[in-house]
Amino acid sequence: MTTVIDGREMQPPEPMERTLEVLELLPDGDEVLLLLYCQPYPLFNILRNNGYEWTENLLPEGTREIRIRKQPG
Amino acid sequence: MHPNLSFDQAPPISVPYRFFLTAPWFGMLAGLLLAWSGGDGLGSRWTPEVLALTHLAGAGFMLQAMSGALFQFIPVAVGGNVWRPRLVANVIHPLLVLAALLLVAGLLFSNPALLSAAVPVFLLGAGGLVAAVALALWRTPATGMTLWSMRMAIGGLAITVLLGSLLADALARGLNLPLIDLTNVHLAWALGGWALMLLAGVSYHVVPMFQLTRPYPLWFARGFGPLLLLLLCAWSSRLLLDDDRWTTPIALPLLLLFSAYAVMTLWLQYTRRRKVDDATSLYFRVAMVSLLGFAVSGAAVRLYPPFGDDPRAIVWLGVLVFVGVFVSATAGMMYKITPFLNWLHLQRLGAPISAVPNMKKMIPADDMTGQLRLHVLALLLLLAAVWLPTLARLAGFAFAVSCAWLAWNLIGAARRYRMFTDQIRAVALHP
Repeated sequence: MTTVIDGREMQPPEPMERTLEVLELLPDGDEVLLLLYCQPYPLFNILRNNGYEWTENLLPEGTREIRIRKQPG
Repeated sequence: MHPNLSFDQAPPISVPYRFFLTAPWFGMLAGLLLAWSGGDGLGSRWTPEVLALTHLAGAGFMLQAMSGALFQFIPVAVGGNVWRPRLVANVIHPLLVLAALLLVAGLLFSNPALLSAAVPVFLLGAGGLVAAVALALWRTPATGMTLWSMRMAIGGLAITVLLGSLLADALARGLNLPLIDLTNVHLAWALGGWALMLLAGVSYHVVPMFQLTRPYPLWFARGFGPLLLLLLCAWSSRLLLDDDRWTTPIALPLLLLFSAYAVMTLWLQYTRRRKVDDATSLYFRVAMVSLLGFAVSGAAVRLYPPFGDDPRAIVWLGVLVFVGVFVSATAGMMYKITPFLNWLHLQRLGAPISAVPNMKKMIPADDMTGQLRLHVLALLLLLAAVWLPTLARLAGFAFAVSCAWLAWNLIGAARRYRMFTDQIRAVALHP
């Protein structure tokens, strides 16, 4: 299952807060789809340090789709 | 939230804060200097007072605020890490403060010994900053125009400091150099190659993020920095080619480019779907309107000789760009960065999310907008004082008070960080 967080019209740090709240309860195999207009490096560092993996896709109109899930194993 | 989450390698909070808390003091000094000198201190760009005021703003306020922002932006916006940030900041911060004070005193009192003393201190302080930041910017695996703009900006700072050191040395030792051409090139790199390049690069990241606009169009972000660099190189050719015919054909596209950035930013603010009129957004609007005013006035200086021949016209441009554009934009950024810094570092203490206060509690909104209003009043008084010298003392006093208020608001944010840290630790010890 995918939980979508549209952070494009949220003021920081709300997108990061929402993402971390959802990740805490995320079942294995599910993912979070975060939509932003920028690259959230502080969030990336937290994910890297805590066993999550993510992919990024930049859409032509400037939206970044960031898909986050737990690293297997 | 996440007691078990480990956070990133962001620099200690004291690193950006020490620069941010220093910057307004240079603004206060500038205001007090104008209030003290009063009268005809703004009569020409070459008076000792105007030279000192320019460097209190540029080498003092702006350099301090932008250095602090760089230390914070590099990890947050482009994923890089400055090597041992606390050590680097401990060394370069006092050097930059001392260098700016020596330079300002040397210019104000036309004292060759102070100017000579400023040069090596500036080269060491700014050289250390450039080396540490450049290394971090080149080693990060990130891509994008914010990163490239920051890389170009740090190169612009290096050129600015080298040319400025040459100028200070030439003044101190009476060297036979083309001082006016050299000053114009130094100023162009300081304002365009360093400050505006950095502001634009940072805008690509923070304007959509904090002001909730659409992103800058890719064609604009890709074109602005390289075009600015190209035009600055062309502008610098005046040092090699003794031909004044090219000055206007280079200056006008440069001013047009400045206007394009200002109009694009105002357009993005105007067309955003969710209106946020906080102090940062309003400060950015003041900065962009001032940049447009600078571009129009700059074109008038080149094209309308009765205006351009008045020595006060260049001082008018200086007030618009230093106070109107860069003091406004950097103050607005500090109002957004310091609450975010507090929040980020409080999160790192591992407290539950409910225990970490909202960013809005770090600096009261009324205090920020009140200070912003006083800043705008000071800016208008300064602009008027260029043409009406009787207003100079009042304008200087108003600017000093607005910078003191900025300092008070930023000190308040630092105090609240300590208070919330103590509260979170107390709850952790006695749940």
